[in-house]
Amino acid sequence: MAEHSTVGSPFRAELFPSGQEHYRVLYRRQLLRLLLTYLAPMLVVIIYFGFQNHWLEQESRRLHLTAIAEHQANTLNLFLRERVVNLRNLIHSPAFLDSQSSNLMAVFLEDLVRVSDTFVDIGCFSEEGVQIAYAGPYPSLEHRDYGSEDWFQSLKSKADDFIITDIYLGFRQRPHFTIAVRRSVANRQYILRATLDPERIYAYIRSLEGDGEVFLSIVNTVGAYQLVTPHIGTLLERSSIVPPTEPRMGTQEIDLEGEAIFYAYTWLRMADWALIVQSAREGPYDLLSGSNLYLALVTTPLVLLITLAAFNRASKLVELQREADRTQAQLEHASKLASVGELAAGIAHEINNPLAVINEEAGLIKDLMNPEFGEPTPPQKLIPYLNTIEESVLRCRDITHKLLAFVRKTNIELRPIQVEAVIDEVVDGLLAHELAVSNIHIHKRYSPAPLEISTDPNQLQQVMLNLLNNAVDALEGRPGTITIRTERGRKRVRISVTDTGKGMSEEQIGKIFLPFYTTKEVGKGTGLGLSVSYGIIKGLGGEIEVESRKGVGSTFTIILPAETLV
Amino acid sequence: MAEQIKLLIVDDEVRFLDSIAHRLELRDFDVTKASSGTEAIKAAEGGGFDLALLDLKMPGMNGQEVLQILKRQHQFLEVIILTGHGSFDSAVECTKLGAFSYLSKPYELEKLLEVLKQAYEVRLKKKFLSDQQRIAQIEAISAQADPQTLVTQIRKQMAEKPTLLSILRELRKLDDERK
Repeated sequence: MAEHSTVGSPFRAELFPSGQEHYRVLYRRQLLRLLLTYLAPMLVVIIYFGFQNHWLEQESRRLHLTAIAEHQANTLNLFLRERVVNLRNLIHSPAFLDSQSSNLMAVFLEDLVRVSDTFVDIGCFSEEGVQIAYAGPYPSLEHRDYGSEDWFQSLKSKADDFIITDIYLGFRQRPHFTIAVRRSVANRQYILRATLDPERIYAYIRSLEGDGEVFLSIVNTVGAYQLVTPHIGTLLERSSIVPPTEPRMGTQEIDLEGEAIFYAYTWLRMADWALIVQSAREGPYDLLSGSNLYLALVTTPLVLLITLAAFNRASKLVELQREADRTQAQLEHASKLASVGELAAGIAHEINNPLAVINEEAGLIKDLMNPEFGEPTPPQKLIPYLNTIEESVLRCRDITHKLLAFVRKTNIELRPIQVEAVIDEVVDGLLAHELAVSNIHIHKRYSPAPLEISTDPNQLQQVMLNLLNNAVDALEGRPGTITIRTERGRKRVRISVTDTGKGMSEEQIGKIFLPFYTTKEVGKGTGLGLSVSYGIIKGLGGEIEVESRKGVGSTFTIILPAETLV
Repeated sequence: MAEQIKLLIVDDEVRFLDSIAHRLELRDFDVTKASSGTEAIKAAEGGGFDLALLDLKMPGMNGQEVLQILKRQHQFLEVIILTGHGSFDSAVECTKLGAFSYLSKPYELEKLLEVLKQAYEVRLKKKFLSDQQRIAQIEAISAQADPQTLVTQIRKQMAEKPTLLSILRELRKLDDERK
């Protein structure tokens, strides 16, 4: 069990040890960047093809519906024309001129039904609109006056010799439509009218709907269903679809209570009817259908693969960064040791002095105890010498402590510090003796209000030591002055170190921040000090500037943000 | 040692200066202390020091400058450098400038005493050789000059260099023995 709990998140544990929040941030940023770079183009392509597919599918559906509408309208036109021709044949037959009796009508009806079983009945009308003869299932309709009916009025005034009515219930309360033809005989007009059962046409149309892919319906000019499948409406009900009368055929998309309905229509030539074909599979466009499903199947593994690769790459990048940081830290430490090395001579000498005092006092005490040099001195008289020894030991300890405190590897730690205090620790602590015996005067021109910034004091100290070491070396053993200035700007603080040393040429200035470049004698400088200082100051969000004139001296200026952010 | 060796010690570290002076006084040296270069040069002005122990790194005038001045002003003064900042380069430099020896702090007393003894002998020898040269000069003059001129010459030399007197004494002693 214990094994398991550690196995739980070894990756994260290793990648982000506590206190390394910035690596986590770096990881997230890298991951986001990689995912964006890899996936964005892919997503664009997917979306493009998705819409392309959608458009193609819509287009093909449009074509499909239009084709059906056109074809079926032709068929219907043909059907109606045939029915009109049937009636015309009868009205123009010689028998019709002889008599317009109900018997003849019965014969006619028989003929018609033989041709098409959609015919229900047939009647003959006088010029005034009275049905003078009738054959069919409703004999009571004989002698009825239809003079004021719309169809009758229309037919009389129409140029065409026929009319096909809309479907209506009429006297018989059954949906039907009629075809009437007219003929003039000796200045008298006769009208032959047959009633047709739309159910028959509907049966025919339903056979076209076949596998239920499309719905067909017929509406009149005001949008009432003339023929309709029960899936979308009932007969004579007002359809939500009213196709435009111009152009005579086309496709339309209407928004019906938030649902997009797409249909193709064709106005018939024979009647004021429009054939409407709409797709049975309506509803919102399905992104995961057809080609898009295929697209999704292909791209999903790709997206997953890329995402995985991005995760992998991001953690590798973070690992590399960490490695680089480690190397940088090692380099900084090495350079720190090197700058201490440059100090070493001075420090060894500084220790030599108290050691010499100790040696001297010890020897003197021995001498004073030695009978050879007369009466032995009483022990209390030796106490001042012993005190001096103790003081000298403490002096040695101070020196080694300062040195160790500087060399000790510490983690980067940003905290509020006072810049002047940090500088003083270097000047008055590590370098004091070296400066005194070299007759170098330190001139501190600090800003009136101490500079308080948030930065890493250890690193700042390292940089200051480097700059001061360089300033001392630039004086080449001659007495001189090193001026340390601190100033506060609006957003940044400036710390400058100016020496009165040998100065540098333009060419030298160009190279001083390169690693292993040194102007010092062989064995004196490592060439790491400034390059590492530069790295440190960059890392703290600042800059180093140099000004130098050959033979006059150099000024190095550290510029740091007044508030260093993590 | 019949005569006390007159020694000037120069060091800015006062406690060290006091102790080493004390120890060498116990060993019969006639010690004068100076805690800076200028003090040392002033103390040496009257002459009479046989040897000087000189620190190198001091605030103000440094050891090398002091060494140069002392050697220029006092022909037979032997200077021994005793420094905490010893280095090969500075040792070579000081030797070129005429230092008799170069010791680093902390030192061994036996070694220091040995060096002081050698330096004193060298000083005596140099002085003796220098006096011999003068005698040779006088002899050369006396070979051709009348006694009166010779006496004037010797007087002149003696005024210049009082030590010549002791050499003359020695010479007279030798002369007596020969007779």
